[in-house]
Amino acid sequence: MKWLLITSALLFVASIRRPIFVVALGCSLAYLASRGMGLGRLPLIGPQDTLAFFSGSLGLMALPFIYSRQTAGIRWFCWGCGALAGLFAALALPFPTINMPLPPILDTYWFELHVALAFFAYGLFGIAALLGIAFLQGGGKPALDLQYRAALVGYSFFSLSMVSGGIWGYYAWGTYWLWTAKELWTSILWIFYSLYLHLRLKGQSWERGFAWLGIVGFLVTLFTYLGVSMLMRSSHSF
Amino acid sequence: MLKKLYATFCSLNLGLWLMTGVMVTLALGSFSSASSEQGGLNDMPLLFWLQRAPLGYSWWLWLCVACIAVLFVNALICSIDALRRKGRSVAPHLMHAGFLLIVLAHLLSAYGGFKQQMQLPQGDSFGFPDGERVVVERISGQIGPMGMMSTYRADLRLSDGLHAVQPNQPLFHKGYGIYVKDVELSPVPVALFEVHKEPGALTAFIGALIFTVGNLMLLAQRKGR
Repeated sequence: MKWLLITSALLFVASIRRPIFVVALGCSLAYLASRGMGLGRLPLIGPQDTLAFFSGSLGLMALPFIYSRQTAGIRWFCWGCGALAGLFAALALPFPTINMPLPPILDTYWFELHVALAFFAYGLFGIAALLGIAFLQGGGKPALDLQYRAALVGYSFFSLSMVSGGIWGYYAWGTYWLWTAKELWTSILWIFYSLYLHLRLKGQSWERGFAWLGIVGFLVTLFTYLGVSMLMRSSHSF
Repeated sequence: MLKKLYATFCSLNLGLWLMTGVMVTLALGSFSSASSEQGGLNDMPLLFWLQRAPLGYSWWLWLCVACIAVLFVNALICSIDALRRKGRSVAPHLMHAGFLLIVLAHLLSAYGGFKQQMQLPQGDSFGFPDGERVVVERISGQIGPMGMMSTYRADLRLSDGLHAVQPNQPLFHKGYGIYVKDVELSPVPVALFEVHKEPGALTAFIGALIFTVGNLMLLAQRKGR
């Protein structure tokens, strides 16, 4: 079924029009569904599955934004979301699939909920970054308002992911908190978006800074997801 | 003087700087060997670790705790100040309250937490602080197709009967959680147990619930705006 992932990556990158994006998303979700049915669980273990899941989450979360009236004037926005989703689908391709059952400690709905919600949040933070670029390129206030909405919904998903992760940790490890690099960067990401949401209270003079923070936030997201796994030793590494 | 202090602690700018401080200290700490799996930070309650660890090893955590302590006061005073003004949404303050409870929960666990690890064979026992014995009656498991344990469990006998402990299904007894972390079946069945006490767990859970309610209210209010 890897051809579905390859097709989704190609179509996402070619999604200059919304119907192509929708077909790409369909291929991505079909790939994830086929993996899930084959494994009997959500495909969330190993770099291939997590990158493919991230790509699918980004596409799914982008859907309401590319059909929003406020983004109609941003000609590259649909392609931008597609390119981002396509990039992560393409990054997944070289990695082998891990087809083992979940280790006993991960075999709980709390784990699946924790990871899936985190990827939905990551996807929304990516969309917020694109909307920040759109604002800085002259997309106007609607782009910034949409960026805020994407980040707020992403923050809500991320907070719920942390809560479900805490519950899982309490039942699996005996504690809802561990001092490891992944947890520290997860907290940094959560505090970063807390700061971002508070910064809106500063008013119009901070609009450009607000847009920039939305872009930087996605870089922090990528470091939390990929950087920590590649550069630091942590129980959370994929 | 008091008014000036109140205005300082009520300031949004202070909150933003403190959040930045927490992020910077955590980022620096993430590269420290203290936060690695072998750093010892997860082996004992935080306050005990902070008292024992050399300052060169733990300075980032001291700074982080200081920033969080002031952020706690800042969030509390900001919420009280906003609630005194009429017509304000309660949603952000519920989120603040949730955050404050979660910080308190960490403090409770950092002070009164307990963790002990032991490897015991089938038939052996361990004691609770109140003297009650827990007997490891049976250790069992199944090897999966890839040679790893696919399921495992330990049956523990306490004064009130037999209880099974499995991954993600600990046994809670007198405020302690008993976890089975690993099992080896040969040459004799042996299990790795951990006994935890997390006095902040319930407070953290209540804080998370309050935060979530506030968050959902905020989302509903921001819908379409």
